[in-house]
Amino acid sequence: MSEGIPRKMALQNYFKGKGSRALPPEEVDIANLLEEYHPDYYEDTLVTLQTGPNKGERCHKDLAAILQADALIDDTDLAGAFVHETDLLVIGGGGAGCAAALAAAENGARVILSTKLRLGDSNTVMAEGGIQASIESGDTPMMHYEDTLKSGHFRGESRLIAALVMDGPEVIRWLIQKGMQFDQNPFGDLLTRRAGGTSHDRVVYCRDYTGLEMMRVLREAVRNGKTEVLEYSPVVELLTNETGHCAGAVIFSLDRAAYLLIKARSVIMATGGIGRLHLNGFPTSNHFGATADGLVLAYRLGARLKDIDSFQYHPTGMAYPASMAGSLITEGVRSAGAHLLNGLGNRFIDELKQRDCVTAAILRECAEGRGIVTDGGNRGVWLDTPTLERENPGILERRFPKLLQRGKICNIDPAGEPMLVYPTLHYQNGGVEIDENGSTTVPGLYAVGEVSGGIHGRNRIMGNALLEIICFGRRAGNKASETIHGRGHKKFTIEHTKNLSRELTNAGLSMEIKSPTLFPDYANFGIKQ
Amino acid sequence: MGDRDITVNINGKDITVPATMSAIQAVWHAGHPRVHGVGCLEGVCGACKVFVRRAGRSIITTELGCQTMVEDGMQIIFLVFPTPNHHTYQLDDFKNSWDTQAQFHQIFPEAAHCRHCGGCTKSCPVEIDVEHGVNLATEGKFREAGELFLECVMCGLCLTSCPEEITPNHVGLFCRRITAYFHIRPSNLINRLEEIRKGEYRIVEG
Repeated sequence: MSEGIPRKMALQNYFKGKGSRALPPEEVDIANLLEEYHPDYYEDTLVTLQTGPNKGERCHKDLAAILQADALIDDTDLAGAFVHETDLLVIGGGGAGCAAALAAAENGARVILSTKLRLGDSNTVMAEGGIQASIESGDTPMMHYEDTLKSGHFRGESRLIAALVMDGPEVIRWLIQKGMQFDQNPFGDLLTRRAGGTSHDRVVYCRDYTGLEMMRVLREAVRNGKTEVLEYSPVVELLTNETGHCAGAVIFSLDRAAYLLIKARSVIMATGGIGRLHLNGFPTSNHFGATADGLVLAYRLGARLKDIDSFQYHPTGMAYPASMAGSLITEGVRSAGAHLLNGLGNRFIDELKQRDCVTAAILRECAEGRGIVTDGGNRGVWLDTPTLERENPGILERRFPKLLQRGKICNIDPAGEPMLVYPTLHYQNGGVEIDENGSTTVPGLYAVGEVSGGIHGRNRIMGNALLEIICFGRRAGNKASETIHGRGHKKFTIEHTKNLSRELTNAGLSMEIKSPTLFPDYANFGIKQ
Repeated sequence: MGDRDITVNINGKDITVPATMSAIQAVWHAGHPRVHGVGCLEGVCGACKVFVRRAGRSIITTELGCQTMVEDGMQIIFLVFPTPNHHTYQLDDFKNSWDTQAQFHQIFPEAAHCRHCGGCTKSCPVEIDVEHGVNLATEGKFREAGELFLECVMCGLCLTSCPEEITPNHVGLFCRRITAYFHIRPSNLINRLEEIRKGEYRIVEG
């Protein structure tokens, strides 16, 4: 990597107003920019899968390693396991899992929600920017549809996107009726901000705490309902019945250090993303538990995955101080008008281009020596919050209290000093293939939220993730509760793990690696210690 | 790197780590397993509650482990406890907003017993004026109280410090929820819902 401009010198450049704040020239060749600088295109990071439903397709090597790994448990581990029975098992306690559980429970289904950590520990709670819904006059669901498709480089599934955008306004109503607040103008209309790469202001929000507000409300609603919640209960394997239908899961209770068998008529996977695998060595904005467990479990059972070579690196993760590296600064700040500046004090990209372009441009500035380097060796570019505040007095306090809180902890006043930012691994664009009810290619297994794929193509726009989790969470919860009156399954086994071992051996793959990962290795924790 | 190493005591163990780490990063760096009490690592989930005593100080503070930078001589204890909510209510049971105040006191009967000891406010790691919020709620000022709890991470420290077993974080959340439930009626959203209901929008796939 090439040198950059030392932080002190870059700050001097900034305060002396060196450099041109004029809009940089339009990127003429976006495909080239992405190919040259976006981490999805780094050399030697993709491999071809040798086993499973996506055999022969390209996949990030770190994900491939755990998709093609041996199970954590075998039949002997299940001897003497506790057994629970329920209609519906929801795996994951974030927004998607809660929405699914609420919808199913309202339909009268018996629901168990099991989560690796605590209810609400998820990427949802950290979401800042907001949630998309076309509600302004002049905006339409069709425009939302086109923006989503275009920003995903036309790789998203049109049926899924159509469902998403048409549900948008109803999802907001549902959230308000569950008790979620949104920022309003003095007449009570919802305020909207614009997401990068979109054609209209469409993101509704609650300051830069949208996810926190949403998660608080959903968690309280689940707690006050009839859903049984199992915390510190990661799923280590799925169960199948006699015909390959998903029939529940095996849970390892961290509190009891014991296995638990949950027999269920259907299973909704809502386990979130992959950030804590730190693909390509990037810091992440993700929750501690984001280790791609759901992808592994579903793949093993035969569910097809989609776009597993495409990940989102959010342009503005914090880069200084080092302890906060990767923490998110919402796109809302750029949406409000904050510019990105390199170490010379120049703008270098239209800040409201779609996220993958902005990220690639930041990486280009750093690679070509115009980035800023701290004493500790961290790199990045400036997010010009002081100018935003000067031009809109009070805006940081009114719209971005979380940013100010963050500044307080690291002794940086965003109103007086620009923030050093660098791309952070943020989102898994692809995932388990689903239809518009969240059904996967495995009967009885649903996938919703970040673990699912197909909506965002190769790049997601701000606000579509929060919309997706509620929209598809509810759809899957409703669909799955239709099956509660049928006859239950006869058999509950983990026999598919034996086929897995055989396949791995036949492909000459190592049996040393076990998955799902459950926790990043730096947490020094394994269930068989 | 030039990082200065310092020694902190975490859960009774002395560990030596670079001064640029948070309490959680320090535990991991020293090779100790820690999964319980770890969450978003960004200060918004309330999982990583810790007691902190700084060198030479007698006062113990409650903070979030992911947001607390280690200092030489600092003592830290992780607080992992379940946060039960002993109140149950359904927003759908509220039929008339004129009755909210009466119903609030049925759901949270302890809230009116506040002794003004300030324990909840002192324990709050995100510096919410919790006690004031509870008192506003008992007076029926739900919107104003709820606004105070905007940054509440539901860590539950306030309820552990309350001698009257008020659950201030849930009181705050109730205030926010009931405000949204009865009073957020945005005309731009309602218009769009009406238009969709009448079938005015279609998606032309392709």
